[in-house]
Amino acid sequence: MGKKLSVMLVLIMVLVVSASAFANWTGTITLWDAPRWRDENDDQFHWIKGKIAAFEALHPGVKIELIETPWAELGEKLSIAIAGRAWPDVVPVDISGAINRNHLEQGVVEALDAYLTQEELDDFFPGALQAYTYKDKLYGIPMSMTVHVMLLNLDHFAEAGVEPPVDGRWTWDEFVEKAKALTFDSDGDGKIDKYGFSTYILQGYYEAWPFFYMDGGVPLAENRFAFNSPEAISAIQKLVDLKFVHGAAPVEMGSADVGGTFRALAREGERFVAIQPWNTWAIASVTGEGVNHLPNVMVAEYPTGNTGTPVTVGGAGGWVVMHQSNKDKKDLVVELTKFLSTPEEQYIFATEYGTFPARKSAEAMNPFADKPHMARAAQMVEHSVPLPEHPAWAQIDERIQAELQLIFAGEKSVEDGMESAAAQVDRLLR
Amino acid sequence: MKKLRASYIGMGFVYLILITAAVISLIPLYWVFTTSIQQPEEVQIMPPRFIPSVISRYLPLQLTGERESAKVLVDGALESYRLLFRSTRIARWFTNSLIISLSATAGILLFDSMAAFSFAKKRFPGRDILFWIMVGTMTIPGQVLLVPLFIVVRELGVVNTPWAILLPQLSMVFGVFLLRQFMMTVPNELIEAARIDGAGEFGIYWRVMLPLSKPGLATLGILTFTSSWNSFLWPLIAVQKSEWFTLPVGLKTLQDQNLVNYGLLMSGAAVAAVPMIIIFLSFQKYFVKGLTLGGVKG
Amino acid sequence: MLFKRIWKARSGYLFILPKYVFFTMFVLIPIVWSIFVSFQEYRVFGTEWVGLRNFQDVLYDDLFWTAVGNTLRYAVVVMPSSVLIALTLASLINPLKRGAQTFFRASFYLPTVASSVVIAMVWRWIFQTRFGLANYFLSLFGVDSVNWLHSSAWALKSVIIMAVLTPPGMGIILYLAAMASIPESLYEAATIDGANRFMQWWKITLPLLKPTTLYLMIVSTIGSFQVFDQVMLMTQGGPGYATTTIVHRIYNVAFRDFQFGYAGAMSMFLFVAIITLAIIQSKVLSSDVEYKG
Repeated sequence: MGKKLSVMLVLIMVLVVSASAFANWTGTITLWDAPRWRDENDDQFHWIKGKIAAFEALHPGVKIELIETPWAELGEKLSIAIAGRAWPDVVPVDISGAINRNHLEQGVVEALDAYLTQEELDDFFPGALQAYTYKDKLYGIPMSMTVHVMLLNLDHFAEAGVEPPVDGRWTWDEFVEKAKALTFDSDGDGKIDKYGFSTYILQGYYEAWPFFYMDGGVPLAENRFAFNSPEAISAIQKLVDLKFVHGAAPVEMGSADVGGTFRALAREGERFVAIQPWNTWAIASVTGEGVNHLPNVMVAEYPTGNTGTPVTVGGAGGWVVMHQSNKDKKDLVVELTKFLSTPEEQYIFATEYGTFPARKSAEAMNPFADKPHMARAAQMVEHSVPLPEHPAWAQIDERIQAELQLIFAGEKSVEDGMESAAAQVDRLLR
Repeated sequence: MKKLRASYIGMGFVYLILITAAVISLIPLYWVFTTSIQQPEEVQIMPPRFIPSVISRYLPLQLTGERESAKVLVDGALESYRLLFRSTRIARWFTNSLIISLSATAGILLFDSMAAFSFAKKRFPGRDILFWIMVGTMTIPGQVLLVPLFIVVRELGVVNTPWAILLPQLSMVFGVFLLRQFMMTVPNELIEAARIDGAGEFGIYWRVMLPLSKPGLATLGILTFTSSWNSFLWPLIAVQKSEWFTLPVGLKTLQDQNLVNYGLLMSGAAVAAVPMIIIFLSFQKYFVKGLTLGGVKG
Repeated sequence: MLFKRIWKARSGYLFILPKYVFFTMFVLIPIVWSIFVSFQEYRVFGTEWVGLRNFQDVLYDDLFWTAVGNTLRYAVVVMPSSVLIALTLASLINPLKRGAQTFFRASFYLPTVASSVVIAMVWRWIFQTRFGLANYFLSLFGVDSVNWLHSSAWALKSVIIMAVLTPPGMGIILYLAAMASIPESLYEAATIDGANRFMQWWKITLPLLKPTTLYLMIVSTIGSFQVFDQVMLMTQGGPGYATTTIVHRIYNVAFRDFQFGYAGAMSMFLFVAIITLAIIQSKVLSSDVEYKG
């Protein structure tokens, strides 16, 4: 009897001790989030609030403080919090923007490799993990993937009598032919008022970039600027010629006007461009209710260039854990992050918020069963390439995009623009 | 007779210039209000509709007996406002902004007028240096000071409270500069006379300088209230919990990630503009011309 | 002796004390921090003192000097025009009757309560290439469309036009308030002496407005050298770097590149430039101005 009792006691103590290894730490976790989809009360934070309540119920003594931030100023606010050494514990960012490689270098972000088993890691798409990896360490948990696609206004195609690309696949030459045919004078006043293609160029945005990759060019290679390689220049030149030689793009193409470009595709009463590349959030906008609803839209791939395979630029969104000084707290914070990014939650995000899951198991749940456009876009994820991993990428990107703006405004030749960019970027890389 | 006609032409010319300028000036405000009551599908349409549908079509619809359509029209017009007020915390944000801005205005009017009086009329060693240091700090762009200000506020332990917003606002310098320029124009004889009459320094300040500076004070009051009410970036950084958001910050959290909801933006701006308009109209009656400064007798 | 003077003048210090306390805590200390940081390479865990290296880097920063050029071109036009327009409009409004005055005061000031976001939106519409008001007007005269916001030739000019054509509400009400403080007796005396309205304006009003003019000149100079929000909203600094301003560059360096020391150094350059101009302006407009009854 005595022996059994003492064994039981030991077992109980072990259980208590190990359970309290987590329950050991109590306190407040600071979590930032930004507005998501609305519920019936128009509350755009209802999802995170629900998860917080659930997590707190599982861990008595732990409180989660939710800080609501707008998306646009999230980066600035985070920068100041970091510089003022008062950063939150969890932030809903990737590591290419508000948090960037600069911060990773300075040790402000926790690496999470130790917290994910190989099995868990295998559940994520390689592209998602890659987007959160720097120097072979994982700096966050991916929640969603983004990819750039081409959106086609099929009513415009019909009006011009042009066939859309079969299954959304086309070569560059097919694309040019169709874009030219989609450019015409629709109201008979002698001036062309409908165009085949348009897009914008702006620091930090990559809708146009898959075109520059399509002949095999890349922005950086072996730590040197590489967009002035023959492959890159031929690709950029092709897109420039689409505007200036074939006349299939309006004068606004290549400007920094994001809103105006989108309206030219989707806004009822203002549509005059048939094809535009967009990040996947736009799919939800043009298929949802409202003034941007396109009654007949198609999702297509970027046209293939000399390489023969379609390419697109992709990224990921998710959660980042900021530097922790207390190990027990860190364990709990990581658990919270995992709690927020389970396959079920990613499935919910896919169906409600319109993002692609970063987990294969979430995708296997078929969130886009009734959303063919999203399903089509999901097929492009395997062709997506990530952006370069350089710590100074934001500054490099700024220089490249500035030259591209001048090139597409017709003020510089492609060679001059890329040579100028090469000089500036190589200085930054030194 | 010739003189009269010339002066009529002159006045006409003056009014022409002023009205043209006023129209140009009022366009953004007009835009805000009309966009806020536009039908959801007409918001931001290009070219824009100068007269929102709800105004141009309501009467004709009523007259032709299409009550239903008229009602739908009004519903659509109010949609942006409905969206705005659905967020139940808007009353709270509005109150936060109101309390902070009114307190800031009161505090600034008091402290800045005291300091301006001293800089304008008193002599003490280092006066000009102290003044120009203040003015010099206006040249540093605010963005650069966000981080150290955040650190200061954090050290003081007031992060996340309305004090974090109010206290830095009380340190704004332009009011001192503005009032000093006004107060410099007050004749010294009046001050001397008051001193001879036995008034202490504070008495001079309260009974001579302040009444004579009403237009300047009214202007500063308007400018301070507006600046405080509209301030967005610092309150966003200083205050974390949503119940302490000021109105501009709270309104921003209602915006989606990718596409700007312009109707919501404008209805928010319209609501935010109302207190500023009220403050302006109440303060501007102090711009009274020709205050008698002939108080020096003999 | 100095201490005796200080004690005698103690009311001077006492009156500025409350303001100076707030000023020191929330303005001066942050500026001093920023100055210190500009000699460092600011990092989160431990910073490194680099002496004058940040300042040297600023001198070699091509983007910074492009921004300086853009900002100067902007300030040189916008500052004088905003002061002159404010003066002109206020002078036209001042003699009007009470009701008209109130109307115009409100018309010019109230729109400034709308945030710069809205104003930028209006102007973006005006300058839109395809449906905008400006090109529409041009088409009425048979002139070709201009690519206002997205061509290097016109982008900065468009931003300047927007700034010049936005009536300076604050300046107008400031001048009106100052004019209200000028005693009627001065004008009465001048009328008796036979001076017409313009002479009165030139010889009485204008000189007595010098303090306000100095204020507006300095504040406008600071404002135009620090221009950022409106330009961001209109052109995002492009095309290329055609509309990048000094504060835009500082902002990117501080918040995007996380180089607060470097940003601080740039702010020092800005500070020196503006303060020099301010001193020049105050010397030009210096006078002892009292409204003698």
